[in-house]
Amino acid sequence: MKEEHYVVVGNGPAGNEAATTLRDKAPSARITLIGREHRMCYRPKLLPAYLSGTIEEEGLYALPLEHYQEKDIKLRLGQRVVGLIPDRKELVLDHKEIVPFTGLILAVGGTPRIPENLHIFRELMFTLKTVSDAKRWMKHLREVEHVLMIGGDLTSFAVTQALLDMGKRVAFVLNEESFRPLRSSPEIYEEAAHVLKARGVEVIEGRRVRGMSRLGQDSIEVMVEDKRISTQMVGAFFGLVPDVGFLVRSGLHIESGVLVDETLHTGSEGIYAAGDCAQVYHPALRDYWVSIGHDNAANLGRIAAQNLLGEQIEVRVPAESIFQVDGIKVNTSWWKEF
Amino acid sequence: MRSHRQNVGTPAVSQEVYSEDPADFFYMKVNVPCQSACPALTNVPAYIRALFEDDPDGSYEINRSANILPGVLGRICSRPCEDQCRHGEPELGEPVGICHLKRVAADRRSRKESAPAKLPYSGKRVAVVGAGPAGLAASHDLATVGFEVTLFDAFPEPGGMLTYGIPAFRLPRSMLREEIERILDLGIILKAGVTIGKDIPMERLLSEYDAVLATLGCYGSRRVGVPGEDLPGVISGLEFMMDVSRGRPPRLGKKSLVLGAGFTAFDCARSALRLGTDEASICIRRTEEDFKVTKDEVFQAKLEGVKILPLLVSQRILGDTAVEGVEFVRTRPGAPGPDGRRSFEPIEGSEFVIPADTVLVAVGQESLSLEAPGERDSKGLPVVDRETFRGTVPGLYFAGDYVTGPGTVIGAIAAGRAAAERIARDLTGNIFRRKSIRMREASITDRNRTWDYIHRNEMPTVNPPESRLVHYETEVETGLRPDQAAEESKRCYLCYLHYEIDMTRCIYCRYCIDSAPRDCIKLVDEVLLNEAGAVAGFKETTVWRDVNAVVIDNSRCIRCGECVRVCPVDCISVTRVELVERMGEEAAR
Repeated sequence: MKEEHYVVVGNGPAGNEAATTLRDKAPSARITLIGREHRMCYRPKLLPAYLSGTIEEEGLYALPLEHYQEKDIKLRLGQRVVGLIPDRKELVLDHKEIVPFTGLILAVGGTPRIPENLHIFRELMFTLKTVSDAKRWMKHLREVEHVLMIGGDLTSFAVTQALLDMGKRVAFVLNEESFRPLRSSPEIYEEAAHVLKARGVEVIEGRRVRGMSRLGQDSIEVMVEDKRISTQMVGAFFGLVPDVGFLVRSGLHIESGVLVDETLHTGSEGIYAAGDCAQVYHPALRDYWVSIGHDNAANLGRIAAQNLLGEQIEVRVPAESIFQVDGIKVNTSWWKEF
Repeated sequence: MRSHRQNVGTPAVSQEVYSEDPADFFYMKVNVPCQSACPALTNVPAYIRALFEDDPDGSYEINRSANILPGVLGRICSRPCEDQCRHGEPELGEPVGICHLKRVAADRRSRKESAPAKLPYSGKRVAVVGAGPAGLAASHDLATVGFEVTLFDAFPEPGGMLTYGIPAFRLPRSMLREEIERILDLGIILKAGVTIGKDIPMERLLSEYDAVLATLGCYGSRRVGVPGEDLPGVISGLEFMMDVSRGRPPRLGKKSLVLGAGFTAFDCARSALRLGTDEASICIRRTEEDFKVTKDEVFQAKLEGVKILPLLVSQRILGDTAVEGVEFVRTRPGAPGPDGRRSFEPIEGSEFVIPADTVLVAVGQESLSLEAPGERDSKGLPVVDRETFRGTVPGLYFAGDYVTGPGTVIGAIAAGRAAAERIARDLTGNIFRRKSIRMREASITDRNRTWDYIHRNEMPTVNPPESRLVHYETEVETGLRPDQAAEESKRCYLCYLHYEIDMTRCIYCRYCIDSAPRDCIKLVDEVLLNEAGAVAGFKETTVWRDVNAVVIDNSRCIRCGECVRVCPVDCISVTRVELVERMGEEAAR
């Protein structure tokens, strides 16, 4: 009989939960976990604390290497998946290797979102999603005193606090985008502006960023409506978008994530999606939603693994915990932790 | 070019050879994917190479000889070639910017080109009805082979959808007119503002001309077929675009919804934003992945503020005296249909309303019936033989979108050209244009392996996006800069080069295999041939005693030339293999 080979793409909470669940339920299968970064699984939520030096790098990591040894999960780090051929059940890696599988769980998570109108300024902005991003911030922060925060999702408030703790001066362009994935309301807006100002942040309210240009090595001019603001560093926080570009020609259906049914099945035999990259229809909302946050991701990872092994568990999320952002419904619970 | 498929040991061609062997056409189809994907069979590697050699005039002429309107297509072509470009294969990066380079050739040419070669007058007269891309291409081809052509169009200006459908911010009218003028300069008599079947009966044309070709396009707008479609504020997308092109745009509300997923839907949404609507959203049944438009188009539309609302389908248009909104239901992927494509089915109980005061319907176009003799199909349209373009009345031909339904500009041009050749052959019994495979001796190129890692050069655009919205006619794409064009032209692998190992001289050292950048050189037990005698595959082997040949799989080869450089016995040859068109005596030979 052909050996079962389950492959999980994505070394985050959904991917790791999926791989561990697969091992527990299928003791004799071969299991491979592919991660794009060269790092072990870490907690992105702790990155602002790492940035400010409150915790050391070791404190970021969620699972020791022994975990994979113990569970007999082959961990392949620093490997980028660039293609999927569902009919042949093969993944294509960046270095041209073909990885055959009998079952696949896509848990690739999200990547920082940059609105279309700011794409051309990408090189001038810092995002914070990975440990490498955090290291870039830390290196650059040694040289600068002033940081301008634009866009604004909930991570940006944690980063702002980290920057203030480091004694930096911070300006914040606060507008309706500043509460992703929450919808802005006058109350939230007022409260946020008040809190930021009280902590010494210069708040630039209700304005849209039109452009930016580099004037010198550590000098950037940002045009916010008709106002020109000088800063040394720009942080961009526009939330995350599912990182599913490599699936575009695969035949799977991609919208804001991989479209899956209530059992997280993609419609292609043996292929499931979980975590931030899965997009599921919710009958109570009459809309699709994408999950965000560690616990949701792990939960979906577990369900995808169980279903891959033959169960038919449906994901159930209460409609109250889902918010709408830019036409995408997002399941959040982590924001409540702030 | 039997050598590459039957007798592996034959040396490469030592002079120019033409072939019409089906096996050689099959070879082209598999191995030069860009040219094969182009309905007009534009010789893409050749024109990119000409541009690399700083010969924009030559590059433009290679284009023009196949696709007639390079300046137009360099802006608005649907680019089927780029979808097939070998550089876009999963591990090889992004496709070459074939279309953008076409525009570079058109923009940078000296404009000193001589008139196209023309054969002497044949004494035959042809009427072409409809001066869109198909009609213009057919007129061009008929005029160059010696026919007197009269081109009729119902509109005051020639160009069809190019003039009346595609917005000026994507296709500047001065450039369009210039290329149309060059066609008309062949001596074509243009009679604009004349509707055949109304102003002049088709029967009269048939009696006055030796042949009539109708290339009428698709000017009928499909309806969504939901209640409320006749409310004020619901506008046909096509009529909207035509009114805008004629300089009399209709008044739009503040919130516009566009129903549809094609180029017209995008043109409508982007035009609406330029004409004063505050919010324009494109509503689609499927996902962005299924758009027929290019990724660039989607990005630019979003950049300008167009919103895409996926996975929904309209149920009815709401409002008492005018549009107030649209009721939709959500959709989800269903079972695959007969074409393998999954259908998107409505989800029961998922109704919701999006408020709007303008609804632009761009769900498709269709051919309109024509007052003409001959048999009709179930839709009331003329019965046409798609192979011969003939209708059921002698001398009456049909081509382009009118026959096939709405398609691409390049598809219409190719159809117009094919119909012209058919008419010319029918009227004279002679062959005027003939497609052949030309093989010439070549050497490895000066391409550097590092060029394979150059990133695709993206098209520069007018920014910030708000500044494009001020004047409707501001062209959004500004063209690749000279440095970008030079870099982009380096990226083409030049797939028209054919690499081959001479097995009579090969010493099986396998250096070529070791140096190959991918699995393009194979140890094979057997070369599999198809019915035409062309290479259809290889039976590979890892058992050394079963190896009967070392072969280069040209469908995998990226023409890097490494194998030629390392071969110690110089047994790898390079041939330049191109699908070309020969005209006049050459074709008749």
